[in-house]
Amino acid sequence: MDQFTMARVNVFALLRCLEELPAYDEEARNIADGRRETIQFSVGRVGKARLAIGGGALRFLPSAGRCSILLWFPKAENLNAMFAGTGNPVPLKGFTKLGYLKGPFTRLTERLAHYLKTTPELLHDANYRKANAALSLCAAAYASVEVGNNDRFGKLNAARMADGELRIAAVGGPELGLHVEAGHLRCTKGSSARPRARMEFADLESAGAMLRGEIDSYTAIGAGKLVLGGYVPLLDNLNKILGIVPRYLR
Amino acid sequence: MKTYEQTKSREMFLRATRVIPGGVYGHLGPAEGCFMPVHSYPLFSSRAKGPYFWDVDGNRFIDYMCAYGPNILGYGDPDVDAAALEQLKEGDCVTAPSPKMVELAELLVDTVAMADWAFFCKNGGDTTSFAVMIARAATGRDKVVLTRGGYHGVAPWTQKLGHPGITEEDVANNLSVEFGDIAALEHVFEENKGRIACFLSTPYHHPVMEDNRLPPEDYWRKVRELCTRHGVVLAIDDVRCGFRLDVEGSDKHYGFKADLECFCKAIGNGWSISALCGVDSLKEAAGSVMYTGSYWLSAAPIAAAVACVGKLRSIDSARVCTEKGRRLTQGLVDAGRRHGFDLVVSGEPAMWFMRMADDWSGEIHQAWVAECVRRGVFFVNHHNLFINAALTDEDIAYTLDVASEAFAVVANSPVAAQSKGR
Repeated sequence: MDQFTMARVNVFALLRCLEELPAYDEEARNIADGRRETIQFSVGRVGKARLAIGGGALRFLPSAGRCSILLWFPKAENLNAMFAGTGNPVPLKGFTKLGYLKGPFTRLTERLAHYLKTTPELLHDANYRKANAALSLCAAAYASVEVGNNDRFGKLNAARMADGELRIAAVGGPELGLHVEAGHLRCTKGSSARPRARMEFADLESAGAMLRGEIDSYTAIGAGKLVLGGYVPLLDNLNKILGIVPRYLR
Repeated sequence: MKTYEQTKSREMFLRATRVIPGGVYGHLGPAEGCFMPVHSYPLFSSRAKGPYFWDVDGNRFIDYMCAYGPNILGYGDPDVDAAALEQLKEGDCVTAPSPKMVELAELLVDTVAMADWAFFCKNGGDTTSFAVMIARAATGRDKVVLTRGGYHGVAPWTQKLGHPGITEEDVANNLSVEFGDIAALEHVFEENKGRIACFLSTPYHHPVMEDNRLPPEDYWRKVRELCTRHGVVLAIDDVRCGFRLDVEGSDKHYGFKADLECFCKAIGNGWSISALCGVDSLKEAAGSVMYTGSYWLSAAPIAAAVACVGKLRSIDSARVCTEKGRRLTQGLVDAGRRHGFDLVVSGEPAMWFMRMADDWSGEIHQAWVAECVRRGVFFVNHHNLFINAALTDEDIAYTLDVASEAFAVVANSPVAAQSKGR
């Protein structure tokens, strides 16, 4: 596990997952309906991204641009420390908005963590299970892109993938398109009618059960809860990348 | 035609997943990409005889995977099984080996053109690892040249960096070239002069997922010359092809002489045994390597191999399998054409590879194969298939009927329209 990839996962996978949060969480909806703020994260050589809050939505923008709050992290380690709760960002813009960062923004990240870090008690709630499954599926797909593009072993496996789109979906849940071109990965919401390969869960419950480790992938495949189809080198090498992802999401 | 259900297979698989990692692991399991869609495939068998196996639901399949190669004479061949059972009565895993071991070594030396000696293990991977160790012991060098996409077992050195459980050190001595590219091989030899112990390759290129490639004209003669000039041991992984192309060895089939040749699969018609054959100049190095296993000298599989190799010689199994394969594959191609499909067949007829042309995702091929399986013809998606000598003309005719009906089903299904093109 390297700090650079960890920072990419934190920014470009986990922050991106916040986009989905209002669909499942009332507090996130309230924050999305509240004050408009755009927070930019600038992280050393890792990259820049923004989270636009307001207008009833949370939008992840994978680039620098107009923002009301600018957080600067000299190195990947600094950003990772913030995500681990052991470090603070350096605001370059929006000094007067530290309260927003400590308030609504922190609540958003806490709510995301609430859905991603399960407990047996929480899983008794059907709505919670649904949110956990959907958000975990998005987190895994988005993180696989960063691991495939940046982690040393992830890159080796990504280089072995053929070009094309791999649909990752759960019936009644997210539908994502993982696009591979010359060993570089990116992930879109939605997928084309003709993906080159498919990784489709029969339902969200099955996706959640597998992502939470309640059933293994072999059982899911054999039981028809996870249907694979299409070009095998895409599936096979994504599977290798997905095997690395938990090291970064742990 | 009636299509099969596999209810008991599913139940057994779920039972297996509770106590066995992966349920059915490795290449026989449903997660390795050869069984798609999984629900069309049987996952457990109840019995097998001749060219058939029956699943736990009672469905009969004409088996074109042949247990991934070992079944060459037909499951439960009476001569082979009688020899093994006879030996079992006398003794199998015993402190001192049986004379049958010497008998089999003599038989292989007499049968395999390049062989001056033979050494017995259990699996193909045992022999490829041993071949590499012998080459290193003989040359004092560390590097091994492999062909890209070639399969030589599951030992860590045969796998890829980035795969679970594999470290940098495991694969640090591997170099790779494209199969058939003599210039690339020469370049690697020159760049690593004095460091290459071994060139290990299958006799022709039969990876999964892509058209299989026969050696280009004069390729092996040039490889042989190059290896000799550079003092590199030429090892042939004949685990999959052995006895299906030529009972004297696939190097003989392609007109050259290997230094080491790995056999498994067809050598015992399913009894657990593999063999490494070698030339005299490597015999001492082979003896110097500490290499053995608890069951490697067990006599019953050795007795089975004696009977099997004898029968392969007497019936000329390679010719029989090649002829049957040629008829079958031509029939499959013709059946596809009648329904508007271009089935592309490659490799050797006795262990052909097939795919559908104009099938970007492979889903048309997967759908067609699944429809064949549901009607009792066991193919898998993206691995080469195998012919066995017990396959009858009626089996081939039935297979072609099934294939034709399966093509018709796929032609009228949404998958053909959806998956074609990009």
